[in-house]
Amino acid sequence: MTAQTVPAPKRVIDIEAVTMAFGGLTALRDVSFSIFENETVSLIGPNGAGKTTLLNVIAGNLRPSSGRVVLRGEPIQGLPPNEINARGIGRTFQSVEIFATLTVLENAMAGGVAATAIGLAPSFLPWGKARRVQNDLARRAREMLDFVGLSAAADMPGGTLPTGQQRLLGIARVMMSGARVLLLDEPGAGLNETEKSALINVISRLSDKGYTIIVVEHDMALVAQVSDRIVVLDQGRLIADGLPDAVKHDPVVIQAYLGRSHDHGVARLRTQVARSEKLLEIDRLSIRYGGVTALDNANVHVNKGEIVALVGPNGAGKSSLVKAVAGFVKPATGTIRYDGADLRALRSPDAVTRKGVSLVPEGRALFPSLTITDNLALGYYTERFRNWGLRGLIAPGLNRNDAFEERKEIAFRLFPILKERQQQQAGMLSGGQAQMLAIARSLMSNPRLLLLDEPSLGLAPKVIDEILHKLLELRAGGLSILLIEQNAQAALQIADRAYVLSTGRIVADGAADSILADPNIASAYLGWDENKPQAETLRSAVS
Amino acid sequence: MKQQGIWPYLLLVAGLIGLQFSGSNYLTNLANFVAIQALPAIGLSLLMGYTGQISLGHAAFYGLGAYGSVLLATLLGVNMWLAMVLAAVLVGIAAWALGWLVFRLEGHYLAMATLGFGIIVHVILVEMHDWTGGPNGMTGIEPMNLFGHEFYSDKQVFPIVWGACILGIFFAESLVRSPVGLLMRGVSENGRVVASLGASPDRMKRLVLMVSGIYAAVAGALYARYVGYLSPGPFDVGFSIKLLLMVAIGGFAQIWGVLFGVAFVALVSELLKPLGGYDIIVFGVLLVVAVVYCRDGLLQTLFAGVRGTLRLARKSVS
Ligand SMILES: Nc1ncnc2c1ncn2[C@@H]1O[C@H](COP(=O)(O)OP(=O)(O)OP(=O)(O)O)[C@@H](O)[C@H]1O
Ligand SMILES: [Mg+2]
Repeated sequence: MTAQTVPAPKRVIDIEAVTMAFGGLTALRDVSFSIFENETVSLIGPNGAGKTTLLNVIAGNLRPSSGRVVLRGEPIQGLPPNEINARGIGRTFQSVEIFATLTVLENAMAGGVAATAIGLAPSFLPWGKARRVQNDLARRAREMLDFVGLSAAADMPGGTLPTGQQRLLGIARVMMSGARVLLLDEPGAGLNETEKSALINVISRLSDKGYTIIVVEHDMALVAQVSDRIVVLDQGRLIADGLPDAVKHDPVVIQAYLGRSHDHGVARLRTQVARSEKLLEIDRLSIRYGGVTALDNANVHVNKGEIVALVGPNGAGKSSLVKAVAGFVKPATGTIRYDGADLRALRSPDAVTRKGVSLVPEGRALFPSLTITDNLALGYYTERFRNWGLRGLIAPGLNRNDAFEERKEIAFRLFPILKERQQQQAGMLSGGQAQMLAIARSLMSNPRLLLLDEPSLGLAPKVIDEILHKLLELRAGGLSILLIEQNAQAALQIADRAYVLSTGRIVADGAADSILADPNIASAYLGWDENKPQAETLRSAVS
Repeated sequence: MKQQGIWPYLLLVAGLIGLQFSGSNYLTNLANFVAIQALPAIGLSLLMGYTGQISLGHAAFYGLGAYGSVLLATLLGVNMWLAMVLAAVLVGIAAWALGWLVFRLEGHYLAMATLGFGIIVHVILVEMHDWTGGPNGMTGIEPMNLFGHEFYSDKQVFPIVWGACILGIFFAESLVRSPVGLLMRGVSENGRVVASLGASPDRMKRLVLMVSGIYAAVAGALYARYVGYLSPGPFDVGFSIKLLLMVAIGGFAQIWGVLFGVAFVALVSELLKPLGGYDIIVFGVLLVVAVVYCRDGLLQTLFAGVRGTLRLARKSVS
């Protein structure tokens, strides 16, 4: 392109007075804004603000109750998703949705098939048109994989990629569809710092290539680095739209979304010294899947009333470790002792839960068609069973609902939004709300040891902040916590001790503060370096 | 995606030639039924294995192809081959239309709807006496003939049905390896994502159901001409379930595996003849076992088992 007179920026998408109501709940109210050619716009806002809903409206997954979505002058609201893609708008999903049984290359190729408009008839012969299209797709798919840095993984099954690479693959796949406007729903969730910088790099190179991008994201450091403009939603309303600097300092936005900075008041809570009586003791634990060693001779312990963080890159074996404790994975060797008892001798995960160990699994595992109350009630069954045996299950009345109500109140005090939505189906919750429910449900069984696998995934900064504080409160109430976090910095700020894992081995352990302060560990395993700690970026984004 | 190899075809043809040399009419007859039933089974595998959509009504397409081709030939007085093509086209259209209705549903509901379709068609075959001869069926169906040459005996029919079967395998293998095949597999994993990539998942499902219906219809037409007699019995829900079993034993998304599944079920059926109507119990148990223990099909599971034992044996030796 040669630069002639600078043309006025062209509007690509106009959101005009879009309202989206689900029954009585209005997820979007009269939202209007425009997106210009080759702009990267970040859409931020608290959990349940309506961000995913807005992407769904633009991409055709939802028909708005009123209002219009206009693409280069043409209204497109209510068209089916495939037609909207054909008009040049592509999207990725909040939950990573890679085709697990297709290889990485095939995933990328699948993205381009519809655009080739190859019919069914030529597909019955292995040569001719089908062959040409196939080769062409493969060539372009390789280019795209190259662009996002996944060439080396081309022949692996998509399902075996770590989350970060799956996100990049999702982007390569939707690029193959020929879309020039990309809607990315939380591309950074669950990624470590190294993966995040790869993602940021891809997003900015997409922008250089002329793509128009809308990013929904809770990671303010990422938002700060990619956005030309930021649009803020809160409770379905647009509360700010402007340049990053202006928005970040907007008091309304800080109040609604960003919250205060991280380590506020943490020090005070953490000064209570944990007792040094061991609650969980893991000795030389190894876990293998087929021939692959996921965890190698790990020694980990958690004292009573302690928060212990497990940090390290994706695929380091952190989730495998907690799954083994919870009884979902059978370890190859080693022992797991909890409160003096041998957990490996227990036959099933529910027996472990009855002992007082509760897992909040990665990916939430809610019961989507049940209401929030019912999800919580299921979390409470262990407690019921523990207290009243089978009678508690068969005759749930027994006038003992008070105990349930009491525990439910504790959960609601942690997450007030759940109380408002008691009767709503869990499947309808926003990503962040679902994460809150998963944590609340596991607290219902009145555990003594809580295993949290990436609790901050998909949560707004303010809520992460709140949850981390709530964890400290829970700890003050006598709960011990084993915490896995991709957001290592935040986790280390509230933990008493921490273990750093890398490719199945424990490479460092000690007091959380000293690990946080150790520049070597940080740069080698946690992916940030001394010179630009993520917390700084975050804090400067907030203050 | 790798190109399909020629070896399986050569092996199959060699086996079939060997079977001809054995000179056994019994084996040839059995092999003919394997070829005929392989077509609807492969069609079902395209739908269930590759596209992830269940059908419990596939026997209906098979039956419509059989009755339809014979009725069209007599009613319109056209050549039997033309009638076969016409029947296949009509069944394809019917399957496409059925897709409009049933693919609003998923999972159990889809299973129920297709089961309902299968039962309705079977009832029609039984009740429309004037056309189908009702429970008594239709007799005296002319055997296949081409340029005045009749294909009547097992040996004569053999090349025709196996030719059709091999073509069916070839087309299906090409389809699943084509770009469209990628979308089919995408639909079976997540239709919402496929839609976001510009392809309509419902349209994909309808297309595959149509192809699948045509496979079954062609097989039905060949069956009618080969057996020379039609009654509603072989086209009931029991046969739909048997097709499901063949696909399950074959490993769902494996065309060649399904051919093995069909042969396996045919052999077991022969062994179970003394049980009469109770063979369905054995088939039911087999289906459950296949689905629970052999998710990748019987062959692969057996291979994996053998490999595992060998490894163990080697370990204990060394
Ligand atoms: N299909 C639905 N039926 C009923 N309510 C829904 C439905 N989809 C979303 N909601 C509600 O609409 C609101 C907005 O949800 P949305 O998923 O857009 O939030 P979000 O901004 O993406 O939040 P998060 O950051 O947590 O992902 C939430 O309160 C959610 O519970
Ligand atoms: Mg969302």
